[in-house]
Amino acid sequence: MVAEVKQNRALLTSAALHTWLNRLGPVLGLVLVIVIFSILMKTPERFLSPNNLRIVLSQTVIVAIGAIGMTMIIISGGIDLAVGSTIALTGVITALGIHSGLAPSLALASGILVGGLVGVIDGLVITRLKVVPFIATLGMLGVARGTAKWVAGEQTVNMADTWLNELLVMFPNPPWLLVAPGVWIAIILAIIAAIVLRNTVFGRRVFALGSNEAAARACGIATDRLKVWIYALAGLLFGLAGVMQMSRLRQGDPTVAAGSELDIIAAVVIGGGSLNGGEGSILGSMIGALIMAFLRNGCQQIGWPNYIQEIIIGAIIVVAVALDRWRTSRAVS
Amino acid sequence: MRKLLLILVALTISVSCNNKTAGPAGAKKLTIAVIPKGTTHEFWKSIHAGGNKAATELSAQGTNVEVIWKGPLREDDREQQIQVVEGFTTQGVNGVVLAPLDDRALVRPVEEAKRAGVPTVIIDSGLQTEAIVSFVATDNRKGGSLAADRLGQLLNGKGKVLLLRYAEGSASTTEREEGFLSEMKAKFPNIELASTDQYAGATRDTAKRASENLLNRFGDDVQGIFTPNESSTAGMLLALQDINKAGKVSFVGFDTSQVFIDAMRAGQLHGIVVQNPFNMGYLGVRTMVDHLLGKPVEKKIDTGVMIVTKENLETPEVQSLLHPPLDQYLK
Repeated sequence: MVAEVKQNRALLTSAALHTWLNRLGPVLGLVLVIVIFSILMKTPERFLSPNNLRIVLSQTVIVAIGAIGMTMIIISGGIDLAVGSTIALTGVITALGIHSGLAPSLALASGILVGGLVGVIDGLVITRLKVVPFIATLGMLGVARGTAKWVAGEQTVNMADTWLNELLVMFPNPPWLLVAPGVWIAIILAIIAAIVLRNTVFGRRVFALGSNEAAARACGIATDRLKVWIYALAGLLFGLAGVMQMSRLRQGDPTVAAGSELDIIAAVVIGGGSLNGGEGSILGSMIGALIMAFLRNGCQQIGWPNYIQEIIIGAIIVVAVALDRWRTSRAVS
Repeated sequence: MRKLLLILVALTISVSCNNKTAGPAGAKKLTIAVIPKGTTHEFWKSIHAGGNKAATELSAQGTNVEVIWKGPLREDDREQQIQVVEGFTTQGVNGVVLAPLDDRALVRPVEEAKRAGVPTVIIDSGLQTEAIVSFVATDNRKGGSLAADRLGQLLNGKGKVLLLRYAEGSASTTEREEGFLSEMKAKFPNIELASTDQYAGATRDTAKRASENLLNRFGDDVQGIFTPNESSTAGMLLALQDINKAGKVSFVGFDTSQVFIDAMRAGQLHGIVVQNPFNMGYLGVRTMVDHLLGKPVEKKIDTGVMIVTKENLETPEVQSLLHPPLDQYLK
């Protein structure tokens, strides 16, 4: 307020720095992780081989598709803790569909739609019952997990072999796909979601909602309806992630993916998403997911025990959030 | 930002230094990855020690073998175990020794490993595929029949017996139960199988509840009991102790723990069928190395199972089975 010009300049430079960090930070992190492992590794040619790349990409798909949905939710200022349970539930539903003789495409659709339904319920609880997203989805975490075990009869659901099982194989068929079909699906969805978030009215409203809900409402955005839409859309993506999980296991497992919501949230946060809302990018989240997958893969190939992996991944999450706080404070001051 | 990244790099490198002390590479070194279902239980530690023993022995004989031990990041998580198998496949280990968490979910990664030139030996629990070198595990049927022999002798071939099953769909325990029942019917026709259709469930707690209900139903009308795994044996033992019937009925269990040994010394447990995880790890690695050296291997290998009673408890054979030399082989 003292010197308007000076403040403007400060805003400009900090905004420039801000964008620079947002865009390049996660990419740098990914490059750094890959370079460090290549240097430490006794057999870097294996780590960087096309086959290993295929593996890491396939392993990233579930977290990546989940992270697309989670990015939308986190940008809008929300959170979803029920993703792991939703993945288990939709995987079980799809497996049950195939088991009971549904065409694979219909089973796929039912899995995705159940994910969407879970999202709609989350959205309604948040907007109608005025329960904060953290609590609403914490509740859903238990409800969806329990439902998954219930419909699965407390055991894994095995089903006939269909093309759904080929979604995340290491050697895709036909071979000219190079990577598993599921990887291409994730890439295409990420591109669509990035365009929608950046260039459509819906996308701008999601950012507006997360930046300042009161202001967004004052501008005439129907925030409650928007929230339900966001959770529903994200739910559809979580449903697809559940189908992918089922494809990897070749069975519906009601106990799978416990805690994977934390991986997904970590991917978004590492990728520059702010839990305060209003910030985040699909590209960043995808890179965040890749960083975690490469970390796991690299730690294993170097031969580090699990506890070191867990410590490193934990430390990286904290570093990423610390960066997030630091950026936010820079942007405000 | 740069500073934080530097710290991160420093941390990563300092952590890695400890692991850079790999031995001098021999002319031809075989790297075998051993993948358990989890890493914290005593059972898996014994398998690890057995695998290391095989590696030490083979290396002394001139075949340089390195064992890499790696469990799923989250214990009992199928997806995590799949990722470990996939990681070793692309890392290009010479062979994988795997205890699959599920007989279906691990089929794809094992088949893909085979296509990538990495063979797999399955230990502990079966896998529904032909794409494996060998299945190295406890002969569970034999374990069950050993229990039937012991219980039949204790009862002098007459009386009423309860079988508390473990859980629906568990392959290994079902085989133990079937082995028990068929041996009992064949060898001791005068023993009546009073109840064979009750399940203990997954945990010690559910087992105790099921045992209480069963004991309440039959009261003093039963003379012998068999339970087919650790949790069902523990639950039954607790239930018997609660109603002061421990020691008054003949009781044979499966698997080992310190509680069982104490109960056996106190005369409350009259036999336990014990597996040999140390031997399982040992034979798993040896079988894989034999296969890699081009020697023929059996499709199915029994790692041994024996009955431990109060009488043979203190023998060196049983003591080495109950207390495998973990410290010697696990640094």
